[in-house]
Amino acid sequence: MSPVVLQTLGLGVCTALLVAGGASALMSASVTKRLLGVLIAIVAALLALAALGAAQAATIAGVAVAFAYCVIGVALLVRLQESYGGSDTAEIDAADAQSEPAEPSA
Amino acid sequence: MNDFYAELARLHAPLLLLGAPLIGAAIAAAIPQARMSWLGALLACAIALALAVDLAARGLLSGAPIASAHEALALSPDGVGMFAAPILTGALALALLAGGGLLDEIGPRKAPWAWALSLAVCAGWIGALFAGDLIGVFIAAEIAWLASVGLAALSRGSERGALSGALRMLTAGGFSAALMLLGIGLIGRAVGSVVLDEIGALPIAAPHLATLGVALVTTALAVKAGVAPLHFWSAAAYGRSGRFALFVAVVGLVGALMTLTRIVSIATAAPDLGEGVSSLLAILGAASVLIGSVQAVGAVNLHRLAAYAAASHAGSILLSLALGSPAGLAAALVQTFALAVALLALFGGASVAREPALSALDGLARRAPLASMAITAGALSFMGAPLTVGFLGRWRLIEASIGAGWWWAAGAALVSSLAAVFYGGRLIERVFFRRATTAVDVDRNPWRLAITPVLVIAIIAIGLGFEPSVLLRAATDAAALQLGRAP
Repeated sequence: MSPVVLQTLGLGVCTALLVAGGASALMSASVTKRLLGVLIAIVAALLALAALGAAQAATIAGVAVAFAYCVIGVALLVRLQESYGGSDTAEIDAADAQSEPAEPSA
Repeated sequence: MNDFYAELARLHAPLLLLGAPLIGAAIAAAIPQARMSWLGALLACAIALALAVDLAARGLLSGAPIASAHEALALSPDGVGMFAAPILTGALALALLAGGGLLDEIGPRKAPWAWALSLAVCAGWIGALFAGDLIGVFIAAEIAWLASVGLAALSRGSERGALSGALRMLTAGGFSAALMLLGIGLIGRAVGSVVLDEIGALPIAAPHLATLGVALVTTALAVKAGVAPLHFWSAAAYGRSGRFALFVAVVGLVGALMTLTRIVSIATAAPDLGEGVSSLLAILGAASVLIGSVQAVGAVNLHRLAAYAAASHAGSILLSLALGSPAGLAAALVQTFALAVALLALFGGASVAREPALSALDGLARRAPLASMAITAGALSFMGAPLTVGFLGRWRLIEASIGAGWWWAAGAALVSSLAAVFYGGRLIERVFFRRATTAVDVDRNPWRLAITPVLVIAIIAIGLGFEPSVLLRAATDAAALQLGRAP
């Protein structure tokens, strides 16, 4: 296979991984899975940067940001577990909805 | 001697604008006593505000070329950056002032962290506006976003609702960070550089790849700006955050919108990229106007109503940017200013009501006339009522749209205004024409008067519709400087 085809394939895989990670981050039923989805999406983006031959600075910046999201995400996860007694997003939303009137969705 | 130091400060203004809030954040976090920490944060913000206003006055209003020393951080203030910096630092100053009266809600133990995180939010977005390349924009924007997440999480003391709002912000921000990274990689591959000045100047080897890259970066910033339909985090975050976090959210919103404006204005100036980016902005803008307006009409929580109204207004800003002209860019800048002051007025008035439910506004005019005036001014600005700064922004958009033959964009602006008449009118009706139906918890804390400057300044800023010459001139000059040609 030519390098261009390989690169395109690699980029395609990274994009699919990014989309999957994003979907998990936004729609998963568990806070832990959402955080993992965020990390997967960012790692997929970093792999795509490598496939595109991006500057090292971009990769280092991405790694630093991924680490920051990981740390803050874990801290949030622990606080949510302590406050709600669980990490199921549906239960968290239901508990919050009890204190707020229902909002219309678009 | 003073002139020497003043000139030195001016030479390094971009670096000092970035450094003052960051150093202030460190100092605020290190002082354990909440009030002393607050004073330190205010001082740092005041220094940043003075620098920002001086930079804008020199670079925009007097038209003098800004000579800056070579900074290792590659900071390059452009038209949008110089216009936005005073708005960001001014909004933060008002937020910090109001924070002095909201200490009970935050909690004295967490307050130093709240002040520090708010300064970090401002510093992050200033960094994104002054960064010379996309990697700098990325790092700065993520610093600002993560600081906002932290602030949202601790803004309501022991109440847990803020945590779930912060979680939504975190997941949305993480997804947008991934999009932005991919976009930067694609732009770098297509153009051969990620330096912003070179993106519009270098020949583009793969225009479609570059357009896709810009689209991804724009989408990522649109997520952070709460543009519909990408605003899945904003209603929950606004609705469940504390009052101080809401004030700082205005800084975040303006920062994200202005950074988006900056990136888009550079991209639309490049001949190979302009059309694709313009189409994306037009679609996103129209969708945001419609979705945000519909949701705002049905909202029953004032904070969420503000989030939806902001999404609608952000849609108008994107439509202005889609025009790709200096007139459109100037309209976008004026509208961003109008959005900032309208939100400050709404949140300021709502903070006096102490509960986010719309029913808490019933009869507010009798017990808090200044807060009622602020809410009214904010609502009128969202409607685009004449003699408000909101009208100026809408009118500029309509003017620029008709000039470009985009009649549908002018129609979208009118739809946004009409919807605002509904939800803004509801607010005014509750405040002035209803009686309070629940027992009112009167705040006797003398520090509650710290919110007064926010209300007064927001009302005055909205009233800039009476004398808009300075604002309009600054916006026009910023647009001309950004695009390299006059409107």
